[in-house]
Amino acid sequence: MTITNATFTIERILNASPARVFAAYASLEAKSAWFRAPAEIETLNRDFDFRVGGKERFHARWPSGLTTDFQATYHDIVENERIILVYDLFHNGDKLSVSLQTLEMRPEGDKTRLLHTEQGSYLVGGIEAAQGREHGTAWHVDNLVALIEGREPKAFS
Amino acid sequence: MLQYQAQRLDLAFHALSDPGRRAMVERLSMGAASVSDLAKPLPMTLSAVVQHLKILEEAGLVKTQKIGRVRTCTLDIAVMTQVESWIAERKRFWEQQYDQLAAYLDATAQEENGT
Repeated sequence: MTITNATFTIERILNASPARVFAAYASLEAKSAWFRAPAEIETLNRDFDFRVGGKERFHARWPSGLTTDFQATYHDIVENERIILVYDLFHNGDKLSVSLQTLEMRPEGDKTRLLHTEQGSYLVGGIEAAQGREHGTAWHVDNLVALIEGREPKAFS
Repeated sequence: MLQYQAQRLDLAFHALSDPGRRAMVERLSMGAASVSDLAKPLPMTLSAVVQHLKILEEAGLVKTQKIGRVRTCTLDIAVMTQVESWIAERKRFWEQQYDQLAAYLDATAQEENGT
């Protein structure tokens, strides 16, 4: 099992106050309105307990048969300011990663700058097991070349 | 850009920025080959192929091993690119979610204004 540590950041200016952005995360009803899979999925388990120490789970089966399981624990919540959570991600029961996700909502005029920082430990053995051999090396060469040429990589499925 | 083993990725991206070297990597993605096998379909001299191989080797993309008089080349990018692709995909997933969040915030803003 090889472990890779990596960090990425996403920054967005959202046309809403920090309070409205925060509210979009704070209830299952609001979150379900925008946090969606890009395909038709079957929801197997959905838990949502938005408080420090509370857990969120999104366990689903995709049209390909793949099951994904997002299991998070909220570690820090400051209303309208920040949310910090830790999540494990499983594909077909194999753990792929453990990630610390920090969401910061900074007011900017009547808008909000959302900073999403994700620090992860990626468990390569789990990724390989989940991907299977058929995805092999050729897929990655295509994608590496796509990245270099500035094209969108193919969907990871 | 991902803050992921930046130096190693720079080397890899540089190595793959050349169409001749990409052709060699694509050939090796189908299986190991000798240096002369690699050179055959390419419009370049054997010594040019050896130079390109050296760049691919330094970037950690290809391994070569000499057995007797034959130097065999194999691709060595599986682990790095698998993780790299995976992380890039994770980032793309969240970007997509935030497109949906922005649309949701726009839609609910109209509701709140009572229009």
